Amino acid sequence: MRRIRNWERWGLAGLCLIIVAAIGLGWATHQRATTAQANTRTKVVFWHEMTGPAQQELLTLVKNFNHSQTKYEVVPEFEGNYNEAVQKIIDTHGTDASPAVFQSMDISTSQLHHTGYTTPVQKFIDEDHYPVQKIASGARAFYANKGVQLSMPFNTSQPVLYYNATLLKKYGITPPPVNPSYQDITRVATQLMTRSHKKVQGITVEIYGWLFEQFLANSGESLANREDGHAGTPTAVNFTGPAAVQTMQWIQTNLKRGSFVNYGAGANAVNNETASFLSGRLGMFLQSSATIGQLTKGNPDKLGITYYPHPDGQKANGVAIGGASLWISNDKTTHVQRGAWDFIKYLLTAKNQAAWQVATGYLALNKDSQKEPELQALYQKLPATKVPGEQLRAATPNNTNSGIFLQGLIQARILTQTAMEQIYQGSDPQKALATAQKSMNSYISNNNRSNGYS
Amino acid sequence: MEAGHSVPKSQPTVKSFAKTAAKGFNVHVNDKYYAAAFLGPSLLILGVFVFYPMVRTLYLSLFLTNNVGRPTVFVGLKNYVSLLTSAAYRASLTATGFYVVGVVVLTLALGILLAQATVQKLAGIQWFRTIFSATMGVSVSVAAIFWLFIFSPSVGLLDQIAAFFHLPVINWLTDPGWAMVAIIVSTVWMNLGFTFLILFGALQMVPPTLYEAADIEGASKRYQFWHVTLPMISPTLFFTATVTLIGAFKSFGLIDLMTAGGPNNATNLMVYQVYKDAFLTGNYGMASAESIILALVIALFTLLQFKFLEKRVTY
Repeated sequence: MRRIRNWERWGLAGLCLIIVAAIGLGWATHQRATTAQANTRTKVVFWHEMTGPAQQELLTLVKNFNHSQTKYEVVPEFEGNYNEAVQKIIDTHGTDASPAVFQSMDISTSQLHHTGYTTPVQKFIDEDHYPVQKIASGARAFYANKGVQLSMPFNTSQPVLYYNATLLKKYGITPPPVNPSYQDITRVATQLMTRSHKKVQGITVEIYGWLFEQFLANSGESLANREDGHAGTPTAVNFTGPAAVQTMQWIQTNLKRGSFVNYGAGANAVNNETASFLSGRLGMFLQSSATIGQLTKGNPDKLGITYYPHPDGQKANGVAIGGASLWISNDKTTHVQRGAWDFIKYLLTAKNQAAWQVATGYLALNKDSQKEPELQALYQKLPATKVPGEQLRAATPNNTNSGIFLQGLIQARILTQTAMEQIYQGSDPQKALATAQKSMNSYISNNNRSNGYS
Repeated sequence: MEAGHSVPKSQPTVKSFAKTAAKGFNVHVNDKYYAAAFLGPSLLILGVFVFYPMVRTLYLSLFLTNNVGRPTVFVGLKNYVSLLTSAAYRASLTATGFYVVGVVVLTLALGILLAQATVQKLAGIQWFRTIFSATMGVSVSVAAIFWLFIFSPSVGLLDQIAAFFHLPVINWLTDPGWAMVAIIVSTVWMNLGFTFLILFGALQMVPPTLYEAADIEGASKRYQFWHVTLPMISPTLFFTATVTLIGAFKSFGLIDLMTAGGPNNATNLMVYQVYKDAFLTGNYGMASAESIILALVIALFTLLQFKFLEKRVTY
């Protein structure tokens, strides 16, 4: 080996020193810059779980809010998917890392409320005399308990049925009615399969607990006892009611016949079914209205939208909303919490809600948004985009279609999804659902015990 | 005289011995300080980040945890009992066993095959060596996207090839049986770069004189592989087997991104179940019990490996 010369050694040492000094200096400047900022504006850390066009639009709204006033600076931070975010919120509470305002999914409502880590927004509504009746009542009811508004609904969607209107016309198939029954869907799916000689798949129902919940809601069947938790802490679930079993049998029968197809579960299933739908190889699918933005952008075919299907021989009970709401943490100062509330109010203005619906497909919750020119223009261009909002207004809120106030709904979804997978692979629906129900009931009894509810 | 001389001579020896002993005692005391000084920092780090979490996990596994993750109700071994009596968890254990065996056997077999193929000195062989070790530089997320594209049901490469040859189309990721195959294939592919590189290095260390001697003896190439090559690389092979085994038990990234444990829990391996219980449903008591079981299973398998395989290793 070559010997290291003296000047090389000193050179190297000097270089190291310079690098260390540079890092130190950079850090110090960074620290000073952040404190300087904090001196003039109060930082309000905002956690969200939006991706794609919704994320872009949300970041625009945050930027606009920061420009609109000088007191607060909202700092948006993306936290991954809905499921993981809930645990992160709980685990960081009371530390410097926790958010001041955060977005959390529909089914975490009961859990987050019971942690006692949040300030119900009702407090600010009362203080400000905020005209809360301007916000859609169906969405508000989902995030309220015993008359107290816990969090503010934000990104709100409806599950709907999408169909490729151009494709249906091509094969001479009558589109499904606006409020279809299972039979209507079977007809269109079968016709698509036979008339296209299996080139086009009829429909896919994603293996997704949310869709299972919506099938029950639309048939008027409770998923949890004590009226889906609205009358008290549930002690058991009901996955094996007649509507649940019949719905699963309906899907299974048609999967066997080939007019329904299985795209699996999770993000991959959503990506694959969307890709197939956009390329004209899949005729229909059930999904959140929040995907409208994605399905209209660059789609050469005409998009058709109907209400969520309901069982044959009965009226639709109406579906629950999906999406997420905005919560204010109680581990921050009053001043920061006030900033968080100002930000929430900003997001819910008529103009911003209209822009939000146009960009994402989530529903504008402010009743005045319907008059906004931006939204009017969208309805004119794509009349189908009116359908989700109409579905929301068509339903009369009751205990079976206003969400389930139960802790551990994530577990319920994991279990119902496993049951759906088994059923899609050919297992007996009654048996698969009974297994899931048994597991969920033991989870609930453990959960109630550990939280001192029983 | 001689003896008389020898006595006073021995006295200083005894003295010096005692002195050394005294000194030795001092050195011994100093050693303790030195040991503490050197071991202290790493013991502290291990204590905070390894031992405390281990003890805490054991503790949590005996409790039910409430909605903010605090242990509230002591249940003893009930978490373990309910796990081991649940059909779903036993299915997860079986799936993990199947996956681990599949991954270890295939990784080693293919690794040796590739290493053996590239150990020859041929023109352009360097190029192949680089290609075969390239998966070491691929991140899990990139690999997952790559394999998802290959396995995709509508636009996937494999199914397009199958359609071209009028072969039946396989639902790689939505059929429980095939999903396990798909996961094993992707994991083996990920592992192969590292295994190949290590085994290739081992093969190059085998002295060529051994093969020359075997050639002179008239031993066939196959005989040489089993009786010269394998014994010579057995220490490396053993190391790779142990590392791959432990790695396979801990696989998470590809599974999370490709199947999320599905379909029908077919790829719901033990680690994935821990993740779901801890980070999705906040069921820390159960997740801790599962972690303890996982740790015991890994320890058991590693022990078995050392007991049975190491006997056949020639160092």
